[in-house]
Amino acid sequence: MVEQIQGIIVVNTETIPGKLITESFGVVSGSTVRAKNIGRDITQGLKNIMGGELHKYTELLEESRKEAMSRMVSDAMARGANAIVNVRFATSAVTTGAAELFAYGTAVKIE
Amino acid sequence: MIGELLGILLILFGIFWVALGLIWAIAYPTLLIWGLVFSGKNLDEMIANTVERETEIISKNGKDLLSNIDGGYRKDVKSSGIVWAGAVYGPSHWHLLRGFLNNIVGGSVDIFQKVISAGRAESMQRLREVAINEGWDEVINVRIDTSPMTPASQKKGLKAVEVFAYGTGIKYS
Repeated sequence: MVEQIQGIIVVNTETIPGKLITESFGVVSGSTVRAKNIGRDITQGLKNIMGGELHKYTELLEESRKEAMSRMVSDAMARGANAIVNVRFATSAVTTGAAELFAYGTAVKIE
Repeated sequence: MIGELLGILLILFGIFWVALGLIWAIAYPTLLIWGLVFSGKNLDEMIANTVERETEIISKNGKDLLSNIDGGYRKDVKSSGIVWAGAVYGPSHWHLLRGFLNNIVGGSVDIFQKVISAGRAESMQRLREVAINEGWDEVINVRIDTSPMTPASQKKGLKAVEVFAYGTGIKYS
């Protein structure tokens, strides 16, 4: 179970059920832009003609999101928080085959 | 000497692009016809597969794991944490062609609606599976994002959308 990432509780609700928030440290965020290599871009482009799921890009976004999350978490740790609430994700396409992943939330201290 | 070397490099570069063009000229029509024949069937199979896994999990749990309410009223929660799942889906170029023809006469473009809602159902099903694997009892505050893989300003490129579902997994004490 990955309830905690490096000892920090991350949730996307405004409060953490069963816990009391005592202090807020403001918005923390993490972002990353990643791309697959050109070989993958070509094979995925061919796959796109036939339609269906593009597994390599699913994988790419999964990895990128993990990276954005860990950057957000280390930002929160630097501020001395022990939880991040109300996390939201945003994705924007920079160009074909590259995507910017952005994760943000409010760093708080819980009891 | 350097001039000769540059010339050879230029010729090699030219040959590479010509080869790529030839492969494309053969591969594109082949894949388009492949899509014409199989993409409709594949899509139906995918939808059937998703529905089957969904009913299996829901019947095992007695109710749906996912809900998009905030769980603040709950007092019996032991632990909580974020859980997410996503997938990239695209219509085949044959479907794009049908969608384009549909656009001319207007009305609802059923084929795109079918592809994207199939992708969305699959992402939500993956969220359920991830939550069960990680040991959560329920997922609250579920949000679903849909974003295009190619910027809208760009005409060419991958025609696909990413459907991303995330929520907070909670575990009862």
